[in-house]
Amino acid sequence: MLKATLRSFLAHKGRLALSMLAVLLSVAFVAGTLMFTDTIGSTFDRLFRSTSADVSITAHNDVAGRNDQNFSGTVPTVPASLIPQVAHIPGVAAVNGRVSMAGIVLTDANNKSIGAIGGAPTIGINWSPGPNSPVDLTSGTAPSGDGQVVVDSDTVSKHHLVLGQQLHVIGATGGFPVRLTGIATFNTTNPGATLVFLDTGTAQRRLLGHEGVFTSVDLTAAKGVTNEQLRDRVAPVVGSAYDVKTAEQTAKDAAQTLGAFLSVIKDALLGFAGIAVLVGVSLILNTFSMLVAQRTRELGLMRALGASREQVNRSVLVEAALLGLMGSTLGLFLGVGLALGLIKLIARGGMVLKGSQLAVHWPTIVAAYAVGIIVTTVSAYLPARRASRISPMAALREADTPGRGAPLRIRAVVGLVVLAVSAGLLVGAATDKDLGQAGILLGGGVLLSLVGLIIIGPLLATPVIRLVGGWFPRVFGPVGTLSQRNALRNPRRTSATASALMIGLALVASLSVVGSSMAASFDAQIDKTIGADLIVQNSTGLPFPNEVGDTVQATPGVGLAVRGQGTRGALVAADGTQQKTVVVGTSPGLDKVVRIEMRNGTVAAGTAPGHAMIGSNYADAHGLHLGSPVTILFQSGRAGTLTVGGIDVTDTNPGGLGDEPVVASSTLRQYVPGALDDIVFVNVAPGADKEQVKSALTTALAKDPQVQVRDQTDYKKLVRGQIDLLLNLVYGLLALAIIIAILGVVNTLALSVIERTREIGLLRAIGLGRAQLRRMVRLEAVVIALFGAVLGLGLGLGWGLAAQRLLAAKGLQSLAIPWSTIIAVVIGAAVVGLLAALGPALRASRLNVLDAIAHE
Amino acid sequence: MAASGQPAARAVGLCKAYGSGETAVLALDRVDVEIDGGRFTAIMGPSGSGKSTLMHCLAGLDKPTGGEVYVGDTELSHLGDRALTRLRRDRIGFVFQAFNLLPTLTAEENITLPGDIAGRRTDAAWLRQVVETLNLGDRLRHRPHELSGGQQQRVAVARALAARPQLIFADEPTGNLDSRSGAEVLGFLRRSVDELGQTVVMVTHDPNAASFADLVLFLADGRIVDRLEGPTADAVLERMRRFDVRGGSQVTLPAPDAD
Repeated sequence: MLKATLRSFLAHKGRLALSMLAVLLSVAFVAGTLMFTDTIGSTFDRLFRSTSADVSITAHNDVAGRNDQNFSGTVPTVPASLIPQVAHIPGVAAVNGRVSMAGIVLTDANNKSIGAIGGAPTIGINWSPGPNSPVDLTSGTAPSGDGQVVVDSDTVSKHHLVLGQQLHVIGATGGFPVRLTGIATFNTTNPGATLVFLDTGTAQRRLLGHEGVFTSVDLTAAKGVTNEQLRDRVAPVVGSAYDVKTAEQTAKDAAQTLGAFLSVIKDALLGFAGIAVLVGVSLILNTFSMLVAQRTRELGLMRALGASREQVNRSVLVEAALLGLMGSTLGLFLGVGLALGLIKLIARGGMVLKGSQLAVHWPTIVAAYAVGIIVTTVSAYLPARRASRISPMAALREADTPGRGAPLRIRAVVGLVVLAVSAGLLVGAATDKDLGQAGILLGGGVLLSLVGLIIIGPLLATPVIRLVGGWFPRVFGPVGTLSQRNALRNPRRTSATASALMIGLALVASLSVVGSSMAASFDAQIDKTIGADLIVQNSTGLPFPNEVGDTVQATPGVGLAVRGQGTRGALVAADGTQQKTVVVGTSPGLDKVVRIEMRNGTVAAGTAPGHAMIGSNYADAHGLHLGSPVTILFQSGRAGTLTVGGIDVTDTNPGGLGDEPVVASSTLRQYVPGALDDIVFVNVAPGADKEQVKSALTTALAKDPQVQVRDQTDYKKLVRGQIDLLLNLVYGLLALAIIIAILGVVNTLALSVIERTREIGLLRAIGLGRAQLRRMVRLEAVVIALFGAVLGLGLGLGWGLAAQRLLAAKGLQSLAIPWSTIIAVVIGAAVVGLLAALGPALRASRLNVLDAIAHE
Repeated sequence: MAASGQPAARAVGLCKAYGSGETAVLALDRVDVEIDGGRFTAIMGPSGSGKSTLMHCLAGLDKPTGGEVYVGDTELSHLGDRALTRLRRDRIGFVFQAFNLLPTLTAEENITLPGDIAGRRTDAAWLRQVVETLNLGDRLRHRPHELSGGQQQRVAVARALAARPQLIFADEPTGNLDSRSGAEVLGFLRRSVDELGQTVVMVTHDPNAASFADLVLFLADGRIVDRLEGPTADAVLERMRRFDVRGGSQVTLPAPDAD
């Protein structure tokens, strides 16, 4: 029996090829994702381990998170006076004061930014290599004095920098010229950060704004002393104002921050891989159904010759398992390729990983085989059971068109019930006030509606195909009629084929609805809230030196410039409970550039020195009124009690103000010295031309390439561009599911052509030309694809609508249907059909007429 | 339609070999034959005699390896696939032994299919006449699976007639039918010749079926070995028997034209 199975497997290898391709692609996606994210993880693990000092001392701060330079440009610091205190502790081999500041900018002499693009930071560090430094000076000399800099070798080679070249560094206190004196090389993979080394004094002055402070004090343990022992000796000496961590703890903390981010990426990628797997399942299920149907006679003969039901069942399952095994193995290899491709791709986005350090862990291999084999055997199970149930006699007689006329009534009832429930869930999601609950309803609704539509698909095939292919007979004559009827011949098969496409297209449609609604809502929000003519901002939202705001104010034509800052902090209630938040600072005139709805008081009063403007929700919750004292804990660790000067309406104030307190810049800087601007709103002077002022500002700010000047239109364009980028990324990830769906269409057509060989022979005999025959197959494919597109779009619009209503409370107030995307999907589906039909159509048209007529 | 007495099709020195070199099998060996227009010709012969191959060559379904085939005045051996397809579509009708109809089309759609493919409107009056002659009036909206075997073959005959081809080729048209339905279909083919002036060529191994023809050509080992005008079933059977004995051992050659 096993021999017969193997023979049959080999005999059908052509027909199984596409199923295997589906397994292969799904497995490759899963394996590639795991290898890719594992590689990122292990690269950073190595980096963190090599860059962490044996023991490091940092300032303890509850409010500011680690790596929080993103807010306000200030970081908690450690005084240099701590160094002599710890230097003589037994077991300390070396002490190093470390300055490390992310978010700085490195430019060339033409003010072009050199730093890493996108996610990877540009980090300014003091040159003070400890005993196990992660970098070595590989050429030139160490920086000394105000005007010298050493840059990491990756950045140097990427931007073709040469020793002696003039560069410009922009730190917290502003820009200053430097000369490249040396090149430092990492002894582990640097995943893309640009490292700028300055001498210690310069780093303190220029990056931290003070001499005599460090961001951390790094200790090296003496031989024979473990990091833990050293930490335990140091901690009591420095006291509770400081955190003392071993290298392992530091690396773990860093890895945890990264890990959270990585697992988001991993989950998202695996989610898309899951969709691809789902589509693959439907393809394999369909293939095995068709194969079993075609082999009814063969299986019947086996039964007649004495094979038991289980043996027939097993032979189909073994065939599936073989398919899964081969598909998984090949998929694993393709996964390596995919991971390497992803590594190349993100290298262009600024994250550099080494392909030679690709992490292939055993769980990846297990997952790959599990996915491949389980998916194929599970999908082959139903057809196998059906095969084993065939009575030998019926099989030998062979029904002409299997599956036709089988009762669909149960299907209709079950499908309608499931659809009704899912519709209920979606409506519930759209109307529920509780966001978390609505999200669960939405998830359930999406899943159930998908299942319902797949169940009811065969019943929808006839009406929908009559609709989308109704004009075929008129335009294409009998070829059109034949193709449309062929598509309707086996509604189960047609709908199974189309539903694979439906899944991908439904996701495209729903996400495009959400995306365009997001863009539209944002547009509306900008129109409603932003009164400023121009906005100066860093594209990544990072703070910038105050010289930028000074330059803006000094530019002719600028009437009012309102400078904003943001720092981390907390609102402290009377009972001492803290509510973490962002504390916003502003120079006078905020109400002239941003429209804020006030409940009590005015913006001007709220942002007067010593006062604060708070949200109505917080005010109500804590019984605060105009004139009440409110305590704010700032990121520096200092708390201040201010007077409530204004209460804004929390719910209706968009722009993320929420319950964030707003204070005067001068007040903010009183508690957070050196807090940097992160936004400047500009109103042009009366009589000045907005465009002229904009170009004047752009010119004036040329030496600060990290900031851009935008009017409201630019702002909308920027947001739209970001949404489009995200959507395109998602479409790219969905492409694999769609490719597998296309394979499914190819598969169905190819097997249909084989099934209809005699019919094709007859058609050719009575005068159907080769070109006409090809067109017939192509049109059938187009009809199937359009059927999938119609279902997918319908489903996707439903999902999108529910999601938009759900998110309306979160600011997604405008609904926008992206008609251009929808039309593109329909046209794309037709093109997909044409492409899928290429092979099968050619094959059909090449059949020898006589052989075809005589075909059994 | 070809005028009575003129050859509707003819073959001159027609050869058809399968395979090549040592293993070549000669299915047709220099066959000369004329098919008279407006008559009902039957081609008979035992399995492997080459009768189906002859029909396929005459109908432009198969390529001869030697000699010439004419349909009307058109010589077929130089025609490409496109021209042959058009020839079959416009000038020839087919009735096969089984699987004559497209399952997705109704009887009427099957009947008008060759004309529809050509983009021609089938003459309504003629269609009505054909349908009435074949007694299919109440079956036109049915799909093939709703029809009996005899009805299906009648629809196939109607399809062949509807386009008014120069020639109709019927390949064992009654092979899958019981004798009553078979006789009915043959009767219709006969009437199409007598009443509609059609030219029909039928391949069969059934002497009864052959007796409906005007002329029977006997084929053995790829040659025409005999002809019989105005056949009766008994006369045909008697001839067949004669040459089964004569042909003896050679009849058991491998059969390249699977019947």
